[in-house]
Amino acid sequence: MKKYRSRSLIALSTSALALPGIALSDSPPVETTLAYKFSNYKEDDLSRSEAPFSDLERYDIDVHQFQLLSPVGRNMALQVYASHETLTGASPWFTSSDTNGNPIVSLSGASGISDKRSELSVGGRYYMQNGTIGANVGYSEEDDYKATYFGIDGVRNFNNDMTTVTIGFSFSSDDIFPTDALLFNRVISKDKRSASLAFSVSQVINQISTIQSTVSITELTGFLSDPYKLRDSRPENKTQVAWATSYRRFFDSANAALHINYRLYHDDFGIDSQTLEFAWHQNLNSSWQLVPSVRYYSQSAADFFINIDDFLNPLTNFQSSDYRLSAFGAFSGGLSVIQDFGEWSANFTAERYVSDEKYSTYAVAQPSTALTRYFRISLGIEFAF
Amino acid sequence: MHKLHLFVFFLISVCMLSACTQVRSWERGYLAKKEMAWDPDSLEGALNDHIFFSKEASSGGNSTAGGGCGCN
Repeated sequence: MKKYRSRSLIALSTSALALPGIALSDSPPVETTLAYKFSNYKEDDLSRSEAPFSDLERYDIDVHQFQLLSPVGRNMALQVYASHETLTGASPWFTSSDTNGNPIVSLSGASGISDKRSELSVGGRYYMQNGTIGANVGYSEEDDYKATYFGIDGVRNFNNDMTTVTIGFSFSSDDIFPTDALLFNRVISKDKRSASLAFSVSQVINQISTIQSTVSITELTGFLSDPYKLRDSRPENKTQVAWATSYRRFFDSANAALHINYRLYHDDFGIDSQTLEFAWHQNLNSSWQLVPSVRYYSQSAADFFINIDDFLNPLTNFQSSDYRLSAFGAFSGGLSVIQDFGEWSANFTAERYVSDEKYSTYAVAQPSTALTRYFRISLGIEFAF
Repeated sequence: MHKLHLFVFFLISVCMLSACTQVRSWERGYLAKKEMAWDPDSLEGALNDHIFFSKEASSGGNSTAGGGCGCN
């Protein structure tokens, strides 16, 4: 019985925590903040035409996130992040073709799959006159996967604090030990390493707008295949390069802030992508805020993606039918409602995500089955004291 | 096409930077608002980052990669 890694939602890895001071703030927090958020993530079932011979139900995940941010002395801050996730459902196991030659997918048996994941990360930041330095360490554990990681970064302000330069490095050592390995002839134990370097420049444009541009390079080595797929063989090295620019502008007349994010991405699996996001943070009065947001994403296919598994292809040849390596596009939209009670605040978010090969701006040589559609709701509270 | 995208992206970035004006610390009231932060809700941002990381092939661009997930 496959127990594939929930990695779906999973982890709330540490991306956001690795560089907690990357925003405008360069002074230590003056109060302690506790935050909790519960989220439910539910993928749409597959149709019977997509998966004629298997269960149709996909991932359903509950996520609990906790965060503590507290001043320590006059020049330091402590940040603790924890998450716990529970998952049920199934993911694609292998692909084949129907009588017309169209790809169909078989999911792992949904009835018996459940999993949990827990993560803890602790970080600190030291504030100086013209910048900060920060570090964090973390650990996550699942039934078949463990990760240990750390990150360090430095932030320096220039040009009368108009310009901020940030450089950060992180490293993760991961161990993979699939469940039911002997029964399904999976690998017994493998490891993976990833090292990432990010360089960011933030610039205040005027009293109401600011911009940030970040380049990150990530090198992954080790076992990068999916051990739970029937036929999946990928290179053991991957280099990822991403260049993202974010823009923020406040509109005084509307009492609202506009967020625009754009990212270009390339890796040596052969995948290129573009991501464009808009969010409008509308203050309704002193305590209510509405945040509608939209996102568009499009990627090309990996060089070795195939939409119908070829079991005659030697294992030495790279091949994967993972839908995440196919060419597709995705639209998502969400709405958040935030209420500020003073020391307390509460927020609710609903989000819908739909992906389809028809939405891709890149050529689609082999359309994939099992592209994801999901609905997500979150409810969070925050207390500052 | 990819190079064209890069060029347009770079051009827009440079044009926006060229319009910068000196903003003193006491003139940053709007910039200091929470809704103007790069990531106003870090839990929401972390959750979204991870969902997209799990369901799409791309990641990075916001910070270093961190760790903790083998889903992709």
